[in-house]
Amino acid sequence: MVLFKSVQTWFAEVVKAWNQFWFEPTDPATLGLVRICAGAMLFYTHLVWSLDLTAFFGPQSWLSSEAVRQLQADTYTWSYFWWLESPAALWTAHIAALIVFAMLTVGLFTRVVSVLAFIAALSYVGRVPGALFGLDQINVMLAMYLAVGPSGAAFSLDRWLKSRRAGVPLPVEPSWSANVVIRLIQVHMCIIYLFAGTAKLVGPAWWDGTALWMAMGNMEYQSLDMTWLANWPRLINLMTHVTIVWEVFYCALVWPRLTRPLVLLLAIPLHMGIAICLGMVTFGLVMLIGNLAFVSPSLVRSLLNWRCSSQGRAGGRELGAGSGSLSKPRRPAAVASQKKR
Amino acid sequence: MTAQPQVPAPPVPAPSQQPRRAVRAAISVLIALHVLAVFIGPWAMPPQTSELAVTCARIFQPYLEIMGLANGYRFFAPEPGPSHLVRYEITRDDGQQIEGVFPDRQQHKPRLLYHRYFMLSEFINTLENPSGPPNNLQAYSQSYAEHLMHEHQAQSIKLYLRRHYIPRMSEVREGMKLTDKRLYEEHPLVIHKPDAP
Repeated sequence: MVLFKSVQTWFAEVVKAWNQFWFEPTDPATLGLVRICAGAMLFYTHLVWSLDLTAFFGPQSWLSSEAVRQLQADTYTWSYFWWLESPAALWTAHIAALIVFAMLTVGLFTRVVSVLAFIAALSYVGRVPGALFGLDQINVMLAMYLAVGPSGAAFSLDRWLKSRRAGVPLPVEPSWSANVVIRLIQVHMCIIYLFAGTAKLVGPAWWDGTALWMAMGNMEYQSLDMTWLANWPRLINLMTHVTIVWEVFYCALVWPRLTRPLVLLLAIPLHMGIAICLGMVTFGLVMLIGNLAFVSPSLVRSLLNWRCSSQGRAGGRELGAGSGSLSKPRRPAAVASQKKR
Repeated sequence: MTAQPQVPAPPVPAPSQQPRRAVRAAISVLIALHVLAVFIGPWAMPPQTSELAVTCARIFQPYLEIMGLANGYRFFAPEPGPSHLVRYEITRDDGQQIEGVFPDRQQHKPRLLYHRYFMLSEFINTLENPSGPPNNLQAYSQSYAEHLMHEHQAQSIKLYLRRHYIPRMSEVREGMKLTDKRLYEEHPLVIHKPDAP
């Protein structure tokens, strides 16, 4: 009987913790910031396709429909590009997608364009396997979560228009669905780093500390010549070991408040190192955007409010100023009282 | 005495509430399934994987592929290796000979476009994996060849995969350059000639 009671109590605590983790309403500020950054990244990533659109997506593409269909046989991968044969149709769809990504970035008709952005991002990825890399995986992942959650609830034109129509500054509306989405991004980031880290454990170069040299000494990746580090082998060893320890343990150390700042701060040199030294600026940045999900809404608001108020002193005016989502030193009780993530 | 302008008071924020129990239960099931799928995607990704992982992945395959989640996330794993480029020799219809390599840093700008071309050449190398289906390598090499032939109005083309090895730190300390000829090797991918009359 005592055992039954203990199990029952334990189970009730698990359910309570689960509900608090996933369903505790939160200020959608973090999600709003992720939307702006991910939307801008989606826009830029797809804008670059414009430089060689028909070469990658046209009928005489690098990746012929026969080759791609053979690779994707027995899979559920899909793309609307298979129905776009003529260059005119291709360009129309491409420009429409760019408009959708731009609207997502500024948060205009966010409920609709976030879903369209996800469909568009998936379609690009489904058409050109072979020209993709980590950037595209994270882009699609972020687009998916933005489509699910209330990504236009903060720092958006939607919010600004709503406030203007109401004629009063709107209060911050804590949302459980914003929390669900932010939690999903957080968990997804943990899974990404877990597999990125553990997959490296079978590579001898990550154990003998030379893996980062192999990245720096790769001329095709290199955008900044770091070969002078060959004279500092122990420094390369240290950076290699720190990288793998960070990746493997990210999923555990990013949750405690004590270690979270350190884990997130380490993400900056690690991903910016990839960005600057290996020429993968977009990939480095999109990983940092994923990490933004761990930044508390109160910190996001205080950073953006600081920026907003300093611009206000200079006579500037920013998106959402006066709507209660960016301007205010005032913080609603519901947000102020909630626990930090 | 001047009248104070009337500023409308901001509405009181709605009390923060969790969704109803039934909604919570339904969404909890969806969350659990989704997170499981997100985990299974990379867990079941070849080459190192178990039969259990593959069986689980089969259940979630439609969801993972439709949502673009069938990824390994194995960035630079198991370790960074040599890079791969594609070199081509083209004979145009007018008899002119053209030679080129992709990716090409001078031609493909900005860096993201260069990286797209880099991935094309790297992808061919992954298809060369002996455990992969050989038809894909042939189909993709042929696809690259046909694209180049169409672009250059060519009548014949030869495609080579060029592997660029990375020197050891000690070799660089001794003065070896990353462009040292000893670090390159290449082998043919496709030789496409016009059909004999």
